[in-house]
Amino acid sequence: MTKNLKISFPQKCIGCELCVLEVQRQLKKVGLEGSFIRVFKKKKDNSDFLEYILEVDPRINSLDLEKIKSSCPTEVFEIIEGVQDGLIE
Amino acid sequence: MDLSNKKVLFINLQNKSFELKTYADLNKFIGGVGLGIKLMDMYKNLDPLIFCVGPLNGFFPFVSKAAVLFMNDNKLEDVYLGGYMSTRIKFCDLDAIIFHGKSDDGVVLDILNEEVHFKNSDENPNNLGLPGKKSSLVLKDKKIILDEYFEEDGSLLANKLKSLKIFGITITGTKVFIPKNMAKYTEVYKTILEKTSQIAVEKGFFPSCSGCPMGCEKSITGENGGNILVHSLVACQSAEKIYSDVGTVFSCLNVLGYDYTHEDVENFNYLVSEVLKNLS
Repeated sequence: MTKNLKISFPQKCIGCELCVLEVQRQLKKVGLEGSFIRVFKKKKDNSDFLEYILEVDPRINSLDLEKIKSSCPTEVFEIIEGVQDGLIE
Repeated sequence: MDLSNKKVLFINLQNKSFELKTYADLNKFIGGVGLGIKLMDMYKNLDPLIFCVGPLNGFFPFVSKAAVLFMNDNKLEDVYLGGYMSTRIKFCDLDAIIFHGKSDDGVVLDILNEEVHFKNSDENPNNLGLPGKKSSLVLKDKKIILDEYFEEDGSLLANKLKSLKIFGITITGTKVFIPKNMAKYTEVYKTILEKTSQIAVEKGFFPSCSGCPMGCEKSITGENGGNILVHSLVACQSAEKIYSDVGTVFSCLNVLGYDYTHEDVENFNYLVSEVLKNLS
């Protein structure tokens, strides 16, 4: 059964980038370039509220998803089974 | 990553030029406020504005601040900023950025690794750089806003930037590093991350600094003063219990391949205080 990383609770993201760095460690490097997860910030119109937007590269499925999921301190991710290919959001 | 030298990017605001300098003899000043104090002593005639990171920024949890040093009424000020700035400077493969001179007509600086682009003062720093790999500081209404959320504790840095006519700085870091022993590095990283109970703030859901899982309410304001070793790394003050421990610091430095000795770390406070005497 295929396992996929799902961004189930994006509103809980605090922008800490620990998931980005976990991906990079699994790719044997430290830095931001080439990570399979990217974190962008966005300010809602006329608001001081800052929200974070996550982008996940489908190639992430080649990595240890459980470790990536557990690297998030606010439990943004879930691992789901049975969905083939592509980005799940 | 060059572990045996300190790399400093000099930015001349007067003639809009920049230069990268490498120093083989500054490693004993570790980074952050320690390195910044030494650079201030070396270049005080330039009246520099110095941004410094430490050897652990970007590599270990809770090491999420950047140190900023400048003279204010003949007094050395040190300000610590959170957000993404420290990791972006580190991923430029820089240890420090020194701004000197004064812009004639105001400037916004767009830094990509070791290159600088001088933009007009009406450019919005948040629109510059590479998304997901940048940190943007904006001078607005006599205060600074970093990464659209974080601020300084007070307004000293904002006043300094205003005096230099720097209206914004965007820093994009795209370098990647490969620790010599990835397995051991990962092990030490996880050991530090498990020390969350030693952090002096409560977990929350506020925007967090890069590499910090706390999401604490205090992340919005930077810091002033505190433990000199912690501020040389440049760790968050709330992680002082972790990063004031010489054994922990030595382990972190060692696993990245730095050749510091225990004595280097233990004698560090004395070394910095001697340089401070020159400045006072």
